[in-house]
Amino acid sequence: MNLTTKRTLGVAAAVALAFGSVVATTAQAAPKSATIAFLSPLTGSEAGLGQDELLGAKTAIYEYNQTNPTVKVSLLTADDQADPSVSPGVALGLAQNASVIGVVGSCCSGATKADFPAFKAGRLTVVSPSATNATLTDPKSPTNGFPFFHRVAATDAFQGPALARYANKGVTAPKDYLIDDASTYGAGLKALTTPSLKSAGVTVVGSDTVIAPASDYSATASKVVASKANVVIYFGYYSDAGKLKKALDLAGYKGAYASGDGTDDDGYITSAGATDAEGTLITSQSVPFELAAPAAVLKDFTAATGLASPAGHAYVTQAYNATNVFLTCIKSGATSRAAIQNCVATGSFTDATGSKFNFTRYGDIAQGAPVGAYLVKGGKIIPVGNA
Amino acid sequence: MNFSVVGSQFFPLLINGLALGFIYVLVSVGYTMVYGVLRLINFANSEIFMLGTFATAIVSTSVFKFNQNSQPSHGMKLFIVLLCCLLASMATSGVVAVFVELIAYRRLRTKGANRLGSLISAIGTSITLSEGVRILTHSIPVASPRVLSKFYVFKIHGVGLRIDQLLTIASGLLLFIAVDRFVTKTRMGKAIRAVSMSEENSKLMGINLNRVISLTFLIGGLVTGAAAFMYMTVYEQTVFNVGFNIGLAAFTAAVLGGIGNLRGAFYGGLALGLAEEYFSALLGSQWKEITVFVVLVLVLLVKPNGLFGEAVQQTRV
Repeated sequence: MNLTTKRTLGVAAAVALAFGSVVATTAQAAPKSATIAFLSPLTGSEAGLGQDELLGAKTAIYEYNQTNPTVKVSLLTADDQADPSVSPGVALGLAQNASVIGVVGSCCSGATKADFPAFKAGRLTVVSPSATNATLTDPKSPTNGFPFFHRVAATDAFQGPALARYANKGVTAPKDYLIDDASTYGAGLKALTTPSLKSAGVTVVGSDTVIAPASDYSATASKVVASKANVVIYFGYYSDAGKLKKALDLAGYKGAYASGDGTDDDGYITSAGATDAEGTLITSQSVPFELAAPAAVLKDFTAATGLASPAGHAYVTQAYNATNVFLTCIKSGATSRAAIQNCVATGSFTDATGSKFNFTRYGDIAQGAPVGAYLVKGGKIIPVGNA
Repeated sequence: MNFSVVGSQFFPLLINGLALGFIYVLVSVGYTMVYGVLRLINFANSEIFMLGTFATAIVSTSVFKFNQNSQPSHGMKLFIVLLCCLLASMATSGVVAVFVELIAYRRLRTKGANRLGSLISAIGTSITLSEGVRILTHSIPVASPRVLSKFYVFKIHGVGLRIDQLLTIASGLLLFIAVDRFVTKTRMGKAIRAVSMSEENSKLMGINLNRVISLTFLIGGLVTGAAAFMYMTVYEQTVFNVGFNIGLAAFTAAVLGGIGNLRGAFYGGLALGLAEEYFSALLGSQWKEITVFVVLVLVLLVKPNGLFGEAVQQTRV
């Protein structure tokens, strides 16, 4: 190959490359598809929460694509195991994946907080269905997720007082024992519940922290019995909440047992056993999808997930709402990360019940969100109103 | 420090600590026997324990069809279910332990690999087994239905002993005595002790080294499997990494008592179980691990060979 031929080929290659770039740029200007990531625990001890939320996300995506939109949306699932030591690596992978324009997740506050550096670096917008730790959107917190983090559930600043109220409802001379799992979520919820207990005149007779996951809760149960508490509140996730309840029953504890939304999962009943779980009081920002969504959406739920009913699956409504935030933006023409961020931060959205909402500057729902009261009865977690 | 809890709950904590302690004792026997013979820390022992817990759960749910809504069993059926679970757990752990020795350690040993090679092989085996089960179970905890109704055998002034605790303490003690007697009194036990003292001299005496080592792994596995069954009877739940904390505690117990020393494992296991319970009550559960390991370091500073490392040479395996 002589020099002239080489030059000719070089020029041809440069032109081809430039043409390719133009084509690619044109394609970027009007994409035919977009990807939203769903990040939550899909395996591990808290997998039940992530798997439940995935149902809501799938339903929203299914409904959207059924309308035959200009931009088809696909859902990329990513498993963070709700583990703050695992999650940042998964988040980094999503941030580096140029096709991902938004993230629904994570379910759990510890993992969510650990993901912030990756998402901030990737300028990737996040809408969580259920990460409720108050510091995630607290402007005074140095580790908040501003400006990319948003959530569609009420924070634990609302759940804490509701849990304090619900746990002690109808108890004469309540004496509470508080136990947390040392997680971002558990310790945070405990800190936001304690002041409400004290201001309501409840005597806090003891407190313990058990680093989860743990297998032996017998020492903690002995302490509860010794304290003569008649209400125990556990701040943590369902798997260890079940183990603690079992240990309390074996130690002879007869009082009330309450927990927050981390326990709002059928896995709690599996962990505690149906008999020991009976009567447990749970507060949760989760709104039962079968109550919130109209019949047509419930039909889509079945088509999208293959399940007859969403009953017994927590945070489906919030995951549906969170996914629809992105879908609303994509429908309005936002298909880049920057456009999505602008749309989520300033737009107005509709939830499963048909109510309008938008986000505050720091990512919470401006209109507020309810905290529901639940009871374990007949081996099921059933809603009993607002806490 | 909450001394009042320790005072008022002294006996419940004692019973809980003994039950936990006997589980540690049996698992630490697995560590200490292998160490005594091969001078190798068998890191896979924690996964041998984990597989035993899954065997117990599988037999109760798949063979006997128990589920979370089932009522506990009684009479002869209870006896059969418990016996089958125990045998399945022991058999699984025993067989896996022998295979681990055959696959992960024997070739290295016969090829004269250095101890670091064996150590890495032990860690690799441990991770392989653990991750394998993680993939199979999607890391989801597996609850074992309550087969045994947890009634109190006796109760005096609010302090009682539950049947599962009694079962764990009594069978743990009996199993330990059986292993101790086997090692100190039987011909094969003497062969194990001979190998632990000198491999070369044992060979000269006509002892089949491979057979003795396989037997050591088998006994360690069987005893660890029994511990797994007891664990499931008391705590009723397992997960792919259940062996990590239990294994670490049992290994610590073995070191505390004097690793390679069978009776040291006994005292170390009980001491650790009781320490965990009382420290949790006294300082708060979050301080449990820290205080236990601080005590371990302090003991080793004073007695580098563990509490019984030098004192009970006769029981050295």
